Amino acid sequence: MALLEVTEVSKEFGGLTANQDISFCLDQGEVLGLIGPNGAGKTTLFNCIAGHFPVTRGKIVFDGRDITPLKAFDVARLGLARTFQIFQASGDLKVAENVMVGAFMRTGSRRQARGRAEAWLDFLEIAETGQYMLSELPVARQKRVALATALATEPKLLLLDEVAAGLIRAEIEGMVTLLRRIHQEKGIALLLTEHVLEMVMALSHRVIVLESGRKIAEGEPQAVVKDPEVIRAYLGDHFVKRAGEASHA
Amino acid sequence: MEAVRNAFDFSDFPRLDLWVAGGVLAFLLVFPALPHSSFAMTIMIQFLMFSLYGMGWNTIGGYAGQVDLGKAQYNGIGAYTTAVMMVRWDVPFWVSMPVGMALAVGWSFIIGYPLFRLKGHYFAIATIATSLILKDVFEVWDFVGAAKGMEIPIRKNLPDFLYLQFKQDYYYYYILLALFLVGLLYLNAFRHSRLGFQLRAIKDNEDVARSLGIDAHWCKIKAYAVATAFVAVVGSFHACYNFNIEPEDVMSLDLSILIAMMALLGGAGSLWGPIIGAAILVPLKSYLGDWLGASAGLVGLNLVIYGGIIMLIAAVQPRGVWGMVEAALARRRGDHGAA
Repeated sequence: MALLEVTEVSKEFGGLTANQDISFCLDQGEVLGLIGPNGAGKTTLFNCIAGHFPVTRGKIVFDGRDITPLKAFDVARLGLARTFQIFQASGDLKVAENVMVGAFMRTGSRRQARGRAEAWLDFLEIAETGQYMLSELPVARQKRVALATALATEPKLLLLDEVAAGLIRAEIEGMVTLLRRIHQEKGIALLLTEHVLEMVMALSHRVIVLESGRKIAEGEPQAVVKDPEVIRAYLGDHFVKRAGEASHA
Repeated sequence: MEAVRNAFDFSDFPRLDLWVAGGVLAFLLVFPALPHSSFAMTIMIQFLMFSLYGMGWNTIGGYAGQVDLGKAQYNGIGAYTTAVMMVRWDVPFWVSMPVGMALAVGWSFIIGYPLFRLKGHYFAIATIATSLILKDVFEVWDFVGAAKGMEIPIRKNLPDFLYLQFKQDYYYYYILLALFLVGLLYLNAFRHSRLGFQLRAIKDNEDVARSLGIDAHWCKIKAYAVATAFVAVVGSFHACYNFNIEPEDVMSLDLSILIAMMALLGGAGSLWGPIIGAAILVPLKSYLGDWLGASAGLVGLNLVIYGGIIMLIAAVQPRGVWGMVEAALARRRGDHGAA
């Protein structure tokens, strides 16, 4: 059964069309990759799904409910969490307290929120960072805190916006392992946009490719990267020819 | 139950803080027994009043980061409710105070709902405007005495605990001190509460907060109501303490700015900040008013000094005096760690 159904969603800012008639489905427990060159409209689509932007046209159904008109905080309460490209907090909150804010979505009790926050920090292997300020941590740790905060809201679906950006190779591998555990052990579906293609390849069951606000390809990761349309979008026409020659040889 | 436990949970403060706080509390408890001038007593009462104002302001201005410069209107609603009910219907303070609080909170919902659609400076300016408008209304409203204000008649048998009338100031002092302690415990529970956490998340980044299921608009309105309740209670007290209230006195822009400055100077968003701010600003303000304003004829110099303080906070340490203390303590800990 589809957990998330996006039907012909368009988003216009004035005269600029950021998303045009995008449709796709995401199944319960699936990992779906969303890729495309810069400016393809990935983050806009995320913002539309998560309720940060109202869509211009189209319909979004999550877990059997039409969430198209809902605001971001209502969408979050239904079990759709997200991370942000830039996660900058916090003047006043320590790491563990940041994660508690997420946990407070499901409980009013500080004791329970603290317990859940600690459990998530532990699950993400950063239990020792709890008493630090976020700004005191290296980027890779900050990304994990952002993950922990979103996960503490106990989502069914987690939208990950460039969660590997700014990480070095070893850290990316660690992140892949973590995301796999989140998906397998916690049964949380993932929708991830990423510039780091190897990460999308390693994790996704299916991949969707956007270019200039339109969906240009959809399918299994290995098939999608060989799609001439996708190669053209990423690298230009010249490489389509070369890729074709290579596969004939 | 958990809220009560949270109110008494100071465990996240270093022990040094708690010793200092305990010392200050002991001093506040015995102060009236120590030899003091009546001027000192007046200052102490004002210190407690402004601490309470600042504590209230801190919920919306500090924890939620929404600079509110219109708190005087709620002070006025509290003060006038108590005065009107006492003068016209002979209602005791302990009845009129909660009524004033309810009226002020109700008004804060009406004001807050549209105002929190605004952000940053626009919000601050709008709060000033609503407060000044309400003051103008009170200045022409005959039922509340218009610009002359209201005077509460002296009661026959003093001390009168029901109507809060005393000959000696230390009665007022201890009643205010009790309110101060209740307010402090309430705020300690508040900062540990779900709302307290959510407000700090909103202050950081509203978009992130929304993605965590937080209805930012509604949370701000709730915090605004809490802040208002504090201010209105002090307003009610002020009416009884001063006997005589008028719009220029209880609803002035000066008061709104002072309330915000208490918390900002001491450290917005921290439990002790408003108290520290009041401890610095109230004596300063009184001496400046008395000494420079009246004697030397330098009227308005206090405003210059307030302006200077605001600029210093903005430039040097946005988290106020308490922020400086914390930074210094952290440096010392860091040095010890390295050594």
